Amino acid sequence: MAVTPPPLRTVDTGAGFRHPLYQVMLETPGLTVGTAALDDLLSWGLTKAMWIFPMATSCCGIEFMATAASRVDIDRMGVIVRATPRQADVMVVAGTITTKMAPRVLKLWEQMPEPKWCIAMGSCAISGDFYRNLYSVVPGIDTFLPVDVYVPGCPPNPEALMHGMMRLQEKIQRQRKGENVVPELNPDLLKITQPSVPRLNEATRSPTQTLEQERASENPTLDEETDPLVVPPSEPAPGLAPLVGADFQALLIELGVAELPKDGPPVIPAAQHLELARRLKGLGYRQLVTIAASHWPAGKGRKGADAAEVEHHEIAYALRTVGPGSRLASWAVKVPVAEPVLTLAGVFAGADWQEREQFDLVGVRFAGHPDLRRIMQTENATTHPLRREFPADAHLAPWR
Amino acid sequence: MNEFLQGGLYGGGIIVAIMSSLLFVLWTERKMAARMQSRIGPTFTDPLGFLQAPADVLKLLQKEDIIPEKADRALFNNAPLLGATVAIAGAAVVPFSATIVGADLEVGVLYLLAVGALGVLPVFAAGWGSNNKFALLGAMRAIAQSVSYEVPLVLAALVPVILAGSMKLSDIVAYQSSHHWLVVWPFFLGIPAFGLFMLAMLAESNRIPFDIPEAESELVAGITTEYTGMKFGLFYMAEYLHTVIASAVASALFLGGYDGPIAPGLWWMVLKTGLLVVAIYWLRWSLLRFRSDQLMALCWRWLVPSGVVLVVGAAVWVVFAG
Repeated sequence: MAVTPPPLRTVDTGAGFRHPLYQVMLETPGLTVGTAALDDLLSWGLTKAMWIFPMATSCCGIEFMATAASRVDIDRMGVIVRATPRQADVMVVAGTITTKMAPRVLKLWEQMPEPKWCIAMGSCAISGDFYRNLYSVVPGIDTFLPVDVYVPGCPPNPEALMHGMMRLQEKIQRQRKGENVVPELNPDLLKITQPSVPRLNEATRSPTQTLEQERASENPTLDEETDPLVVPPSEPAPGLAPLVGADFQALLIELGVAELPKDGPPVIPAAQHLELARRLKGLGYRQLVTIAASHWPAGKGRKGADAAEVEHHEIAYALRTVGPGSRLASWAVKVPVAEPVLTLAGVFAGADWQEREQFDLVGVRFAGHPDLRRIMQTENATTHPLRREFPADAHLAPWR
Repeated sequence: MNEFLQGGLYGGGIIVAIMSSLLFVLWTERKMAARMQSRIGPTFTDPLGFLQAPADVLKLLQKEDIIPEKADRALFNNAPLLGATVAIAGAAVVPFSATIVGADLEVGVLYLLAVGALGVLPVFAAGWGSNNKFALLGAMRAIAQSVSYEVPLVLAALVPVILAGSMKLSDIVAYQSSHHWLVVWPFFLGIPAFGLFMLAMLAESNRIPFDIPEAESELVAGITTEYTGMKFGLFYMAEYLHTVIASAVASALFLGGYDGPIAPGLWWMVLKTGLLVVAIYWLRWSLLRFRSDQLMALCWRWLVPSGVVLVVGAAVWVVFAG
């Protein structure tokens, strides 16, 4: 498949420019040569003192630091790393950019003064790499930033980044001379590094493209025949049972739960669980270990008694006593999706953030929660990505 | 009229000379820093990376000039200019040789201290005018630091004034060439006062180990956080100017200035100033930065009392032995 990449930037060569002063400049002998020499000098200055703003979010950042350290020493080409975008010329995006990070990256990019350039360092910044079908990761920073140089690698070694900087110098100098610089891309490589999400510099990208159109244009990478709901049965870990406190068992019997089930926490009626948490706290279970919610659709594809289940949320809680001989208490609550669960934020302060996370990712509503906002995703997100109906390869586009 | 002409020529000449010396200073610092970290330093700008500073300036001149929307424009725009002006104003009274001196004021030392105290103004203007919390925090720290370290600076500068009996810098140098350099005799006054002066001067010009106003790990870039292009370049230049002129003043006050055998006075002055500049950069790339409270404790608990002891000692020395 022949791929013809579009030009990164169009350069105005001045053809068709009519101005009396421009005509005088063209006709005066030696003046064009002089201005060309001056322009060479200016572009020499630009390329020999490129100060970097490090947008280092993950492992590529370590290689970036190595590039500035003694073995490779990027200071040889006059590069200083500045902490403020106002004094930087090149933004090196080193690492995975999540949808929550992307607006901040764009803001920092906009705070940099012109002329400025961007280097995408490493496969995550280039295409999202193996995180690219994840709901939370931007599939390549060139979906929202104009990238000048791509430095491939996972992570690229310091020499590769140095090479990328030298290619950027070359590009700047050629662009100043009016050449139209197009990226050299191997078509086979293009298939790997460019996922099907439209890039910022692609002519085919429409600003009004809807999410459905975008989704339809993608390569499905997941086998849709696989049923994600079939879970292999698991034995309880042998060491777990003695940890569960006898006082917790006694409390359960008092509440009408006869014995601990072998394959999971006992299910408590939703109306009783706040009372249970209060009494457990009184018994010394003072640490809230986890709140983990899961979304169960109606019984399709499931076996036995589970097939008759209606669509519901199952929220598992775990408490511990603090100190030596720690005892564990865990229980679960099942509620239909439309119903909220009583919050534990009034009993355990730590429940605040954990319940916000379950609300954000699974969509469980907690009645009486003091501040039920999103916590992991962007503030303007509209979906709950850990619900079963959420497509595994969906690219939401809040970063654009 | 003749005096005006002479002043103009000397002043212009000295400013041009100091500005061009920055070329060497910047290159020396980049290369020295690199060598101390087992690096090579700039090599892409031939020869030996010597043209790195011109390349930096050419680049800074071409950058977009961003003024934040809610900044105080008058303060924000004038702060860099004021900073560079104040930094170079100290050079007016420094005697570079017996004849090369911009204005040999009777109150030379007083003038220097006054100009040094003015250095707080551009910092405050930049910090307040940027309308940026990091810039403001940096400015607050810088002002607290500068105002505190003014005291030991004055006390240290008083020692040569008392010993030579004059505030005129050329008189102080002449006293040292007819007696001894102050670090040689009386060394028990001269060497501590010299050290105190250099420490306070480092703190005044916000260099490592006293660079908390622009601590990158805490304050992004301190007062220069919002500055782009050549406005930042002026701050950058002012910092180096400060170092050079502080070194020149220290060598005039304590190291005998232009006094020295064989070679003409100017060469001795250049040599002494250069050595002090190198020493400052050596310190800069060797040491870590103080914490804010440690910095204040060092000033008020150690430097100020020892400065007072030195001044009293100098007075006693002049009365009984001088």
